[in-house]
This record gives sequence, C-alpha cells and structure tokens, in this order.
Amino acid sequence: MTNDLFRLVYCSRNTISADQSDPAAEIAKILAASRANNARDGVTGALLYSDGCFAQVLEGDLDVVQQTFERIQRDTRHGDVIVLEARRAEARMFGMWDMALAEPADPIKARSILGLALAEPNGDAGTTVVALLDGLVRREGDWASAA
Amino acid sequence: MDGFQSDADTRGTFNRFFPEREEQRAVLTQAVLDHAAAGFIGLDAASNVVLCNRVAAEMLGITPPQLWQPIPLSQYLRESTRLDKVGQLQFAAALHPATKFNRQSGLSAVDQTLQLTLLDGRFLQVIVHQVDANHSFVSLNVGAIGELPPERTDGLTGLSDRQWFRERLTERLMAPEQEDQVAVLLIDLDRFKAINDSHGHPVGDALLQMVAQRLRSVVRDGDLVSRLGGDEFAVTMSGVGAPEAMGHRLVDLLSRPYLIEGHVAVVGASIGIAVGPRDGADTSSLVRAADLALYQAKEDGRQSVRVFKQEMDTRARARHALLDDLRRALALQQFEVHYQPQTNLGSRQLVGFEALVRWRHPELGLIPPDRFIPLAEEMGLIVGIGEWVLRRACLDAMSWPGELSVAVNVSAKQLEDPNRLPRVVEAALATSGLPAKRLEVEITESALVRYEQQALHVLHALRAKGVRVSMDDFGTGYSSLSQLRSFPFDKLKIDRSFVRDLSNSDEAVAVIRAIAALGASLGMTTTAEGVETDEQEAMVRNDGCTDMQGYLVSRPVPAEDVSKLIASLTIDTPIFQESIR
Repeated sequence: MTNDLFRLVYCSRNTISADQSDPAAEIAKILAASRANNARDGVTGALLYSDGCFAQVLEGDLDVVQQTFERIQRDTRHGDVIVLEARRAEARMFGMWDMALAEPADPIKARSILGLALAEPNGDAGTTVVALLDGLVRREGDWASAA
Repeated sequence: MDGFQSDADTRGTFNRFFPEREEQRAVLTQAVLDHAAAGFIGLDAASNVVLCNRVAAEMLGITPPQLWQPIPLSQYLRESTRLDKVGQLQFAAALHPATKFNRQSGLSAVDQTLQLTLLDGRFLQVIVHQVDANHSFVSLNVGAIGELPPERTDGLTGLSDRQWFRERLTERLMAPEQEDQVAVLLIDLDRFKAINDSHGHPVGDALLQMVAQRLRSVVRDGDLVSRLGGDEFAVTMSGVGAPEAMGHRLVDLLSRPYLIEGHVAVVGASIGIAVGPRDGADTSSLVRAADLALYQAKEDGRQSVRVFKQEMDTRARARHALLDDLRRALALQQFEVHYQPQTNLGSRQLVGFEALVRWRHPELGLIPPDRFIPLAEEMGLIVGIGEWVLRRACLDAMSWPGELSVAVNVSAKQLEDPNRLPRVVEAALATSGLPAKRLEVEITESALVRYEQQALHVLHALRAKGVRVSMDDFGTGYSSLSQLRSFPFDKLKIDRSFVRDLSNSDEAVAVIRAIAALGASLGMTTTAEGVETDEQEAMVRNDGCTDMQGYLVSRPVPAEDVSKLIASLTIDTPIFQESIR
C-alpha cells in the first residue's frame, strides 16, 4: 500500500438527541478526541456541524485515513453516512488543522449546501463540500491571525 | 505426541532393528512433554491415565506420582488441589467411555471441549482428542475467564469459531437458571460475494476483519461473537437483553461504508434471531430457528432483522414437503399442459396456442405456477418438466387442424447446456411428426440477458431446424437494442404489465407503440399479453400490435377442451368465452 496523500469527504446525520445529552458538549468531545488522534496519526481536516448534519474532511496517509474513518464509522453518535469523495490528493487543504471546526456564519446556507450534497452524492458533491469547509475554516483562521 | 501416533507395526519393525532407540524415544518423548506449554494426559480405552506431563499435574495441583500402572481418571483427579468436586466429576464424566460417544449433547465425540472453573477463579480448558478406540488424550490450558484457545479461533478475524459457538450455546442452554434466556443472532453479509469478485480476496478478507471489529465494538461484555464461516457470523447474548434492538444496531453499523485500500465498499447485513429456550430447547433446534428467521430476513429484501416465529417453521416444513412432492410429480404424472389461444388482431383468426404447465397435486389440487415454477428452477427440476411439456405439446398440436402453432416456454436453466435443448426439440418433433414451423419456443428477456452466449447458440440451432423463436415478457428485462438485432427472433411478446397500464398511462401506450414499430421494422410479429377487455384489444390494435393473448379470448384450457375452443373461435361470433374448467 502506497502512502500517497489521501482525502476522504463524508456527510452524516447526527443521532445525538437533545434530551439525552447536550449536542454542543458532544461535539466538543468529538473534536477533542479527533484532534488528539489526528495529531498522533498525521491526519488533518475539518469538521462541520450544522443543524443536524455533519460534514468532515480527512487528509493523510491512506492507511491512517482508513483506520480513522473506520473508528468514525463505529461511532453511534451519527448515522446515514454517505462518502462523497475518497481518492488521492495533490496537497493538503487543511494542513494547519488536526481538526478544524467550521462554524458557518450563515447556517441556513451551509445546511442547504449539505442537503444538496446528501441528496445527490455525485462527484461534484465532494468538491462542493470541501470548498464550503475550506471557505469557513479560512475565515476562522483569518480572525485568529487578526486577533 | 509421536508415541501415540506412530503406527504400532512401524514402531515394532523400527524397534526390532534399533532396540536402543526405543529407550531413547521414550526419554525424549517424556522430555518434550514435560517442556510443553500445555498439560497433556494420555488415556487408554477404559479412560485410565497412562501418561501425564508435569504441566498437567501442576495445573491440577497433583503431586505427580509415578505412573507405574494405569490409574482410573476419577481416582487420579481426586488428588487435585485445584479443582473442586464438581469439576473433578465433570472432567471424569467427559472422558467416561460412554460419554465419549454421546451425540445427544450436541458435541461431537472428537475434539470435545470442556471449560471448568479452578478454585482460584481461572478457567481450565480441557480439549479431548480421540486418537483411536484405544487411545485418547486431553490437552489442558489455563486461562483468564473468557479466553479462547487457539484451536477455536478463526485465523482471519480472531473470533471464536463455529464449534466454540455451539459448545458455549449448549452450555448456556443446559444451565440450571431458567429465567436466563439466551438469544442467538445469525448474521449474513449481503453482497459480500460481489465485493470478493470485483475487488479480490485481500479486500474481501480486510472487510471481514473490519466487520468482526465492528461487531465486537457494539456487543456487551458477556456476549460472544463468532465467525461461523465465509461471510456468516453469530452473536450469542445471554441473560436479559434486547436482541431485536441489538439486531437493528448491527444492521445499521455493518451497512456503513468501509474504506479499504482506497476503495469504498458497502455491504449489508441480514439478521435472524431466535431466543432459547422458548424457540428451541437444545442447540440444534435453536440454531435452526435462528436460521429460519435469517432466511426470512433475506427473503424480505435483506438488510433486515427477523425474529423467529412459529409459522416460519410451519412454512419451512410445508415448503420442504412441497419440494418432495415436486420431485416425484413428474414420475407420478401429476403435471398437465393447458393451452391459451393467440389470435391475430387484424384478421381476428386463431393463429396458435401457448402451452402452459399445471400441477395437479393429489391433496392440494391445482397448484398455481408461481408457487412451483420457482421451486422447480431452484432444484433444477425445471429441465425435466420443461422437456416433458415440450414433448406433450408437440403431440397435442398434431391433433389440431390446419397450421395452428404451439408455443412452449423454455426456462433459463434449460439454456445452461446449449446443446441439450436443440436435441430435445429435434426428438420431440420426430416422435410427434409435428412440422418444425408449427413449433415456437419462448424465452424470457431476462433469461436471454443472463445466458446470452448459450441463448444465441440455441436460438440459431433451433432456427436452422425451422422452429420459430419468441422473446417473452419483453420490456421487463435489460436487453439492448443491439442484442435484438443480433438475435434471430420471429416474435416479441409484450409483457402484460404494459397492457394493464394502457388506460391510465401514456407511457405504456408510447412503449407499446415503440415495440410494435420496432417489431414491424425488424420483421417480427408482436403479441400483446394479458388482454382482458375490449378496450385493451382496441388499444393494442391501434398501437400496431399484430397478435394478442389473454382472458378476453380465453383462459388456458386443458388439452381435451382445445378442439371445442378451436371450433368456437373459428365461427364468426363475438369473442365471448365462459371459463372452461
């Protein structure tokens, strides 16, 4: 197995119900665990949570991305996982982030983009979601550096 | 274990030539045994201890006496300081000559495994190996609770194997606590074979490993996950639990995509659940119940969970009985051929009949074809039945006047051996004396697509003899237009579903018109099937079809009623038929 850079993009639906636990707290937990694991494994990426949907990008060596994804698949906090993209990539897009949190300024727009991707998971959907995440993350980065 | 497995004669010969080797062999064998990691106890036919290694003695907490002569196992075990009375009795009982061949417990006599609890809480694994009638030995391993011996572990996934699964299930069912239930979930992966075929075995194996890990990650601590073989797994849940909820969780989890070597693979899971002792008081019946539930889950479209219900057993037995009857039906002459007329839409003249097989069961009466044809195909009986129908139809057609044709259906299975059908047709024509041009052979579109190569060969061979060929149920398969051009068809039979939808679907009208036009331009007649009303007749005529078949003209009738039907259809009266039975 070669160790070229591999990128995986997926969407899923949240199954954490509000009366069982605080979704925000759960997401914080997911992020923390994700960042720790990824730092160790050399995986970078971004996670978006918006109105009941997750979207995530993972970048790294093929074997580690596979292991990471398999771990994510065993997590029962989400379901209806749809893989939008799974292929070799030229360069990392989220190189600075063990796992960036993308928080959309316009949740409705983000939700509709995700909804479209979930409804028609074709080749373009992956690119669209990555672009969405990229845009959101960069903005967060801009603010951080400006601070 | 060389000393046990050497052929006595060979050893005898060897020792005669090299007597000093006998002693050397004995010393070495003992040394090897004493350094083995597992405990070994060798027994004779009467289950007396003949040999015991140091480790076995340590495990049992027996100060090893020298075995000058064989000691009964029960007596030997009484010296054990590590095993309590119950354990000693269980151990001795398992090796009692009578028990060794006890099949009722569900354990095979050979390589029987026993788990005993030592006084210090660890467990003692006892595996019985029956060498021959006079020699057996047990291997002993001590482990932490729940530890699986290597012999019972599936090499690929690390899960316990089928035998372990059955043995643990037997133990649970024989346990005295009656409030405890044990649930068996049998899991079958859908589409796994397709993954193996398209991506190769390394990917298939990796997938199985991931499936095993996913299963492990979601079961509770006391539950057992086993790989029964191939793509079959089992989860054994004991005590109070919610097996159906677990089933649904597993289906969801296992159907999530897998990323393997850069490929995204998706499989599904079908799960059958049975709960003991309610659904089965012993291992075999409980596993059978779960299996029936699994069968139902697969029948119901896969990726589903089914819990055993008594009617599944009833239905399975009925199906089995019907299968048995079906096998004998041909020999017992329980089949009949009925004939349904085909008429030309333009001239309203009778052109021929389609031969349809019927099964008159002595107790159940006339069994509908959709109940026995799939069974016949599954069992391969359809070939014999189909050929019988062909011969019968040729004979019956000889008694009809004029040039009336007879059309016989050919099942996909009959195409598997492409040389057989043309031979059978030739023989049937020769025996009956029926001119080849009066015989039509009907093949469904889906059979054609499935066995394209063979079908091509068969159709050309039949055409060469002057027999005509039709494509049946056209519009329901996946044939391509290029296939239509390369196959020498005389007739296209438009599936009845299009005719049925004519009055409320513009698409149906368009499709029928297109097929009729296609037929006309390629020189094929087109028969509309399932015409039941005057309105439908008018519409199919309007759409360009050449012939029709359906209840409007007549239901299928037995051979003896055909001449009466021919008479009534050739008189120029309005088409009106009572059902003739």
